[in-house]
Amino acid sequence: MIHAISGDGYFLQQIGASGFTGMVHSVFTHALNIQSEANGEIFTLATKAMDNAPNTLIIDLDTLGNLHIHQHDRVSVQHDQLLIEDKVQIAMQTATRWQCQLPIFPTDQTCLKTNVVTVKQFINLHGKSGGMKRSNSSISEFEAETSRLLQQRTSLLREELMNQRFDHFQSYAIDLVGLGPGLTPSGDDFLVGLFAIIHLENSPCYIYKQLCESAINMMKPLTNAISYTTLKKAANGQVRESICSLIYSILYGTEADSIQALRKVLAIGSSSGTDIALGLISGLEANIKLGG
Amino acid sequence: MSIKVVIKRNTYFDSVSLMSLSTKANQIEGVEQAIIGMGTEMNKGVIRNVGLMTSEVEEATAGDLMIIVKTANAEQTESAYLAVEELLTNKNSAQAKSDIKYATIDSAVQGIPDANFAVISVNGAFAVREARKALENNLHVMLFSDNVSVEDEVELKTLAHEKGLLMMGPDCGTAIIGNTGLCFANAVRKGSIGIVAASGTGSQEVSVRIHDFGGGITQLIGTGGRDLSKEVGGIMMLDGIKALDADEATKVIVLVSKPPEASVEKKVLAQIKECSKPVVVYFIGGNEEAVVAAGGQFAKTSKEAALKAVLLAGIDEASINKRALNLPLIEEVRAKLSPEQKYIRGLFCGGTLCDESMYLAMEKFYNVYSNIQKNPDFLLKDISVSQEHTFIDFGDDDFTNGKPHPMIDPSSRIERFLQEAKDPSVGVIVMDFVLGFGSHEDPVGVMLPAIMEAKQLAEKEGRHLEIIGYVLGTDLDTPNIDEQVKKLVDAGVTHASSSTNAGLLAREMVLKGENHE
Repeated sequence: MIHAISGDGYFLQQIGASGFTGMVHSVFTHALNIQSEANGEIFTLATKAMDNAPNTLIIDLDTLGNLHIHQHDRVSVQHDQLLIEDKVQIAMQTATRWQCQLPIFPTDQTCLKTNVVTVKQFINLHGKSGGMKRSNSSISEFEAETSRLLQQRTSLLREELMNQRFDHFQSYAIDLVGLGPGLTPSGDDFLVGLFAIIHLENSPCYIYKQLCESAINMMKPLTNAISYTTLKKAANGQVRESICSLIYSILYGTEADSIQALRKVLAIGSSSGTDIALGLISGLEANIKLGG
Repeated sequence: MSIKVVIKRNTYFDSVSLMSLSTKANQIEGVEQAIIGMGTEMNKGVIRNVGLMTSEVEEATAGDLMIIVKTANAEQTESAYLAVEELLTNKNSAQAKSDIKYATIDSAVQGIPDANFAVISVNGAFAVREARKALENNLHVMLFSDNVSVEDEVELKTLAHEKGLLMMGPDCGTAIIGNTGLCFANAVRKGSIGIVAASGTGSQEVSVRIHDFGGGITQLIGTGGRDLSKEVGGIMMLDGIKALDADEATKVIVLVSKPPEASVEKKVLAQIKECSKPVVVYFIGGNEEAVVAAGGQFAKTSKEAALKAVLLAGIDEASINKRALNLPLIEEVRAKLSPEQKYIRGLFCGGTLCDESMYLAMEKFYNVYSNIQKNPDFLLKDISVSQEHTFIDFGDDDFTNGKPHPMIDPSSRIERFLQEAKDPSVGVIVMDFVLGFGSHEDPVGVMLPAIMEAKQLAEKEGRHLEIIGYVLGTDLDTPNIDEQVKKLVDAGVTHASSSTNAGLLAREMVLKGENHE
């Protein structure tokens, strides 16, 4: 019997309601995704190495590698236990509830202004290139073209925010979805960071919140189901714990706090963490320019 | 041109795997371009833009994995594709084993029962607990974390000593165990010389020089910087010497440290007397007589320590390029510097590299200031303002508090370098650039814009500004040492071939006849 450690409130609610069923969608070393039969939504089981995240349940394991779970295995809930075929039983009573709670945008922006500069400098030095961050080494034609389009399209989106324009916000955002070869394409990751900032209450960019939420349906066919779920959650102000912590540190913490939190975000995926962080920075810079 | 496209329906690899597969696929012989990525509309658009669109690509959906291989001809394409397939298969089978992240020491011990070593880098508040747990599980420990009390350090080292385990650290940043570099270390060949060091960059420098002189390393055991203090009593250095003495592969032992506390030095020297193997002692600013009396080989500099070690290990002296000091260059630079340009400014990432240059300067000048000076009279009053000859260790707590080490984050040093370059009393700026595991991917590259700016500024003001750069690394390190050196030289920087030579060059270049100030 495996014990659940913590879980996203919405996921716990889904499991608690009788009749949750699904299929294993994809399996990795530290996470496996389940596609709900009811609405096709993706939910994730993750090992202790991962942080809390929307639609995610953290379980008391170091690896999923030796459970012999395969794509299309059946998932069900019985007697407060999540079952994957007859291979895995997860006890749900032990799970504490986690809920993404984004901070409120501060009235005093002193910390924010200092920390944004520090964080940006750190990303320039230590961020992973290959996505939003240009690579200094020689790259293939495909990588160069991807990089060019990412730069061009994020610039357009940033300008739209900086000038508080609305006309093309959605189309520029949509043009980024699915751009990049990774499981979560760089364009998607950038938007996850940006959408999180847009959802900071009292911030100048908060006015774009409705546009994020309404654009998300148009994004569904443009990326894979795993990345879309993350994007959809971010478009509704729900992001993983390490991203919440980074935002909080930048808004209210010291430079050291910000760098410490940033390191955790930069460790996400290959270039995903860097791409997310650059999305955050773009949003925060727009907020600073627009005067908070 | 020949292109092969394979679409794998609903196939998911994590981003790290995809990136590494893509990199490896592009390195396969004959491959002009390989693309491994998800079949989203945007990615298909990029593929169209680079002229690789095919009907198979057109049909891919966002949940499909696309594999596209482009080579010169069909035969090459087929064999390259097979190689890519093999990479994918290996990735699938290896993934479960290689990428496991354990959340606790206990679960890691359960998951890897054969493990005998733990590297711990957590916040100082938790470091002691985790290190104790590792020792209790019979694991040797390298504790990278600092902010651990002396009392806790003594307790951990005593426990390790009782159990016959290594307790390297706290604040141990460099080790090479079983030919594997840990934390900050360089790629050096395997050999017969063992090192025990209470100094990170000092031991890196000695290991790199040994490699350069044709020797190699058995083990490099770090002790943590406080090990030779009165409170800790050299527990780890004494155990390290014993361990290397008992190690069959080790023929020569080198000790590296700042001068130990007097009572601890006695213990170390007594241990040297007991040792069955030759021991080279490089205690910066240390006492030659005491070392020789104990039967040790005294080395005044890191270069001398490495040279003595390789000769004791049996390397033929005639085969060694000792990298002599460039005396004509010294004369040339002296002639270029104006009488006002009297001072050295040393800006270092490595504490021991800073110490070495500083001690060499102190042999000729009395007015040598630093943030790590032992003599309180010559401690910088304000670390952000240099006085006369100044040597800064940017790895010291004053600079790293809440920030990464300068070997990772060079921003503080860049700022300070530009400040020093504007000072008309400065003749020479000397800097180190550390390569190897854990260091910045391009330490010279990030400094270049500032170097060029400084050179231009000095030229505009009619001054010659001498910049000396030392690149600590070997031909086996990443990034490539030759490329790093070339960048320096192309920017008009004088390249020093060792830490010792960097210190000597700086010192000699600013000497003004008899007027040693």
